Amino acid sequence: MVGLGFQIDLFVRILPELLRGAAITIQLTAFSVAIGTLIGLFMGIARISHYKIFSVPSALYVEFIRGTPLLVQIMIVYYGLPALGLNLDQYTSGILALSINSGAYIAEIFKAGIKSIKKGQTEASISLGLNYMQTMRYVILPQATRNILPALGNEFIALLKDSSLVSVIAISELLRRGMIVYSRTYDAWTPLLGVALIYLCITIPLSRAVQYIEKRWEILD
Amino acid sequence: MIKNKTIRKKLAPISNNSNGHPIIKMVHVKKSFGDLVVLKDINLEIKKGEVLVVLGPSGSGKSTLIRCINRLEKIEEGEILVDGMDIYSPDMDVHKLRTKVGMVFQQFNLFPHMKVLDNIILSPLKVKRIPKNQAKKEALELLKKVGLDDKFNSYPHELSGGQQQRVAIARALAMNPDVMLFDEVTSALDPELVKGVLETMKELAKMGMTMIVVTHEMGFAKEVADRVIFMDEGYIIEENEPKEIFENPQNPRTQAFISKIL
Repeated sequence: MVGLGFQIDLFVRILPELLRGAAITIQLTAFSVAIGTLIGLFMGIARISHYKIFSVPSALYVEFIRGTPLLVQIMIVYYGLPALGLNLDQYTSGILALSINSGAYIAEIFKAGIKSIKKGQTEASISLGLNYMQTMRYVILPQATRNILPALGNEFIALLKDSSLVSVIAISELLRRGMIVYSRTYDAWTPLLGVALIYLCITIPLSRAVQYIEKRWEILD
Repeated sequence: MIKNKTIRKKLAPISNNSNGHPIIKMVHVKKSFGDLVVLKDINLEIKKGEVLVVLGPSGSGKSTLIRCINRLEKIEEGEILVDGMDIYSPDMDVHKLRTKVGMVFQQFNLFPHMKVLDNIILSPLKVKRIPKNQAKKEALELLKKVGLDDKFNSYPHELSGGQQQRVAIARALAMNPDVMLFDEVTSALDPELVKGVLETMKELAKMGMTMIVVTHEMGFAKEVADRVIFMDEGYIIEENEPKEIFENPQNPRTQAFISKIL
C-alpha cells in the first residue's frame, strides 16, 4: 500500500495484462502512422498541385478530418461502414480510422515541408532537365522529409495517445485493459493511474528521441 | 517551321537557314508579371561561341531575359529559337531544351543533401541515363577543370561560396550544354571569392562556350565579352563591343549607368 490509495500489489498483478494492451496500442499506432504517412505524402503533394482535380479533393479531405472528432470518425468506420456493406473487424476498423485521421495531419506536415524548400532548388533541378516527378523524388522530398521528421515524430506521439479512443469499439488496447481491470476489481484508481503511467513510459522516451533527431538531422546549407 | 498555337502573336517571319544560324534568337519577346511589363520588345541574336554580357540597372529585365531562354519564365508574345527550334512549339520537349541550355544562379542552388559528386551526376544519370561509372569519371574531369577535384566527396555546406558556385558551374556543364546562362553568379559572393569564379568563366569562354552573362563585373565584361547589351525598363537600349560601350556610350541612360559604376 502506498499513499493516495494506489495499490502497488494490484498494479504488479495486472501489469502483464496492461503491457499486452500497451503492445497493441503501439502496434495500432505504428500501422496507422505508416499508412497515414503514405496517405499524407500523396495528399500533401496533391494539395500543392496546380491542378484543381488534385488539390481540391485533398483540401476537402483534410478539412473534413480536422474538423470532426476522431471519436466520431472511429464510430463512422466501425458502425457506419456496414451500412455500405463493408464489414470490418474491430482491429481493422481501428487502424483504418486512425490511418485516415493521421493521414490528414501528415498531409499538412508534408505540405509545409515541401513548401519550406526554397524555390531555387526546384529551379536548379528543372533547369538540369529533370521533370516534376524526378525533381520531387531526388531533390525536394529528401530534403522535405528530413525537415519534417520531428513533426512526424510528434504526430506519432499524438496518435499514440489518441489511439486510446478505439477502446470504444472494444479493441483490447491499453486503456481498454485498464477498464476491464476496473470492472473486475471495482478499483478505478490503481488500473487507470497505471495506464497513464505506461503511456508516459512510452511517450517520454519518444519525445526525447524526436528532440535528438531534430538536432542530428538538421541539413546545413 | 512548326506553327505555334499559343496565344502569342507572331510578329515577324523567322528566317531559319541552318547555314550559320544564331544559336539563340529572340524576336519581339514580351513578358510581364501581372501588370508589370518586364520585357517590352526584345530582339536578340546570339551566335555560336559568342560571349554576351547583359548590363543594366536592377529591375531592367536582365534576369528575366535569360530565364526566358530555358523557359523558367513563360513569354506572352514573340518567339525564342534555340538552335533553330521554337522553344514554345507543341512538340518541343522542355526537359530536352533545358539539357541544352545550362544555367547558373546567383544563389548557387546546389542540392544540400547531396555530396558534390552526386550533385553533378544527378542529371546525367537520371535524364541522360549515362552509366554511373562514366558519369562519375566525367564529373571528376569537370571538377578538375574548375579546380575542385579534391572536393568531390564534400557536402556543399563544407565549401566556400566561391567553391559552391564553381561546383554549380560544373554541374551545369555535366549535361554538355550548347549554351550557358549566368544569372549574376558572383553577386552573392564575398569579394575575395569572386575572382575564382570569374577565372572559371574565362576558361569556359576560351574553350568556345556560348555564354550569356548577366553581371555587374565590368572587368569581366571588358576582358571576356564579345558584345555587351545594355537594358533599361524592358528594352535593349544599346548594343556594342565592350570597348565602345564603356568608352563611348551613346544612349544617355547608358552614359549615366557607366559613369556611376566605373
